[in-house]
Amino acid sequence: MAFSQKSSWAILSVLLMGLESPSIRAGGGDSQAVSPTPLGKSIYDAKCSSCHGVDGKGNGNAAALLSPRPRDFADGTYEFRTTESGSIPTDEDLTRTIQNGLHGTAMSDWDPFIKGDSLRAVVEYIKSFSPRFKTEKPKIVHFGPAVRSSRSSIASGKRIYQKLQCAACHGVDGMGKDATATEFTDDWGHDIKPANLTEPWTFRGGSTAKDIYTRFRTGLDGTPMPSYKGSATDREMWDLANYVVSMARKPVWAMNEQELKAFYDELDKANAQNALDRGKYLVETMGCGYCHTPVRKNGSIVEDLKYAGGQRWDLYPFGNYVSYNLTSDKETGLGGWTDEQLAKLLTTGMRRDGSRMIPYPMPWAAYAALKESDLKALILYLRSLPPIYNKIPPPEKENFFSFMWGKFRMLILKTDFPLTVYSGNAGTTKDNTVSALTAPVHTYTQEKQP
Amino acid sequence: MKKILRWVGIIGGPLVVIAFLAFLYLIPPFYIVPPEEFIKQDAAQGPPMDQIKDPVQRMLAERGRYIVLRTDCSGCHTVAGSQGPKWDEYLAGGAKGIYGENHLETYCRNLTPDPTTGLARWTDEQVLRLLRSGVLPEGRPSYWRRMPWTFTSRWTAEDRYVVLTYLRHLTPVYHKIPNPRQGEAPPDSNIIEMAYGGDYAGHKAGD
Repeated sequence: MAFSQKSSWAILSVLLMGLESPSIRAGGGDSQAVSPTPLGKSIYDAKCSSCHGVDGKGNGNAAALLSPRPRDFADGTYEFRTTESGSIPTDEDLTRTIQNGLHGTAMSDWDPFIKGDSLRAVVEYIKSFSPRFKTEKPKIVHFGPAVRSSRSSIASGKRIYQKLQCAACHGVDGMGKDATATEFTDDWGHDIKPANLTEPWTFRGGSTAKDIYTRFRTGLDGTPMPSYKGSATDREMWDLANYVVSMARKPVWAMNEQELKAFYDELDKANAQNALDRGKYLVETMGCGYCHTPVRKNGSIVEDLKYAGGQRWDLYPFGNYVSYNLTSDKETGLGGWTDEQLAKLLTTGMRRDGSRMIPYPMPWAAYAALKESDLKALILYLRSLPPIYNKIPPPEKENFFSFMWGKFRMLILKTDFPLTVYSGNAGTTKDNTVSALTAPVHTYTQEKQP
Repeated sequence: MKKILRWVGIIGGPLVVIAFLAFLYLIPPFYIVPPEEFIKQDAAQGPPMDQIKDPVQRMLAERGRYIVLRTDCSGCHTVAGSQGPKWDEYLAGGAKGIYGENHLETYCRNLTPDPTTGLARWTDEQVLRLLRSGVLPEGRPSYWRRMPWTFTSRWTAEDRYVVLTYLRHLTPVYHKIPNPRQGEAPPDSNIIEMAYGGDYAGHKAGD
């Protein structure tokens, strides 16, 4: 109420004085010029900011858990364009990405939800994060005529695949086999993976020959994938695109019984061979990081302490638990655990000292379902996590009376008790400070909270 | 006669109280079954796979089942009653939680293919979109601390598809999930979420 009164006074005084004062009139004009932005901002904040961040820097609360990372809009660098390498994208490029999403990433297809004026407003708002859109013009590529797929075009594409050394990153089979480069980062220092060329449903910019040709022609700015303008002719890039299309395998949703069986037998074999990759996949998809990483109040994880534990969960009336340090640190992490001890804890809930964990919050009962080979792979990957010192306090039991009263209420009175999760790190880092962290994190003393 | 009764009262009364307190103290948390039994129960959930006649569907659903088990979807999507998970409402949702800086109170969704309260109302595309991007059918992003789609997003597209196939074969349970609403702020400002194990869903039409 107070605010609206104040603002109506402000409007009134502007109205009274504005007629005389040119400077105020200019101010009014400015606010009119940016009037399309609030629509774009409101949609962006509601739908985009949880990944791309309110300030467009690709640092929303979910961002650090995603791979590839959400785009940082501040730079004006975009992968999926119809413009020359190094150029800003056209409005249509941005619109297309919002409408179709990017397969193989967390970027959704927003077409059903953001349309018309809203879509235009969001595109304008996203452009406003980078000054490049004010000073530069997109250098639109003039694409060469399409070459239809044929046996000869594919054969020629195969030769070009060798000539351009695609196999160095994508492998001779398109799946990374015999690749000489295996580790990649983008311009922001985040790990990325080369596309698996046999799985077109994961091609972020689309899987038609034209989409693939466009990627060759424009390159994926911000990644090691260059533009082949200059090193290949238009015709050659089309042939190569036709060859890549021909590399596709069937997805499981299109397979028959024999194909499925053969596919999964092969996959299980490959997973057992590449145990470290399999372990990484399991740890990243089973959600270990949900609990075993401290979280700030705004919901973003503290990346410096990824997998170093420290998230505090209160489970009344049983006690307070702090998630354990999963990194390979000898003193505070899993470095001092044997594989057998780890396997036993994961599948039976038995700690090193022989005591049993309750089935919450650590869902060890679910991990009892893990196949032998998967359990081994998971432990192998945990072993490879770089050590981070973060000393985790032991579980803190509720005092006897509180415990008895709580259990009485729970079992007899059937009261529903909350599982309470705290922000910040409840462990102790090496220098006992959190100053190295990018944002303030609340630390706890080991005394019981009221 | 009266004397005997009085003696029984004097000795028996405290005995009953002590026995009750001992029972209360010793009974394991949440469930009365020992951990080994709990693991077995957890692993035995879901429909028997040999019920699925189509071999392709069965193979996909089996793969999906393994992923659902090891990812512990039921940790949230099955109500954890005070005496253990309600297995007859497996993956039917209904637990309450208060999450995030705006303290939104939300309820775990019913993942069973119930036509009126479950996932049967969602198209394949909608389920896969949520698992990949955390976007709900109404176009609203889901908060990753509430539904950790940041992890399902890291599944391969094929893994998401087999999970969907498995969910489509679950036993339908009528479990009407309340709509999200504004929740109360937690007692301590450092609390980021509070999850409750109770069953907040309606069990009959009209609930």
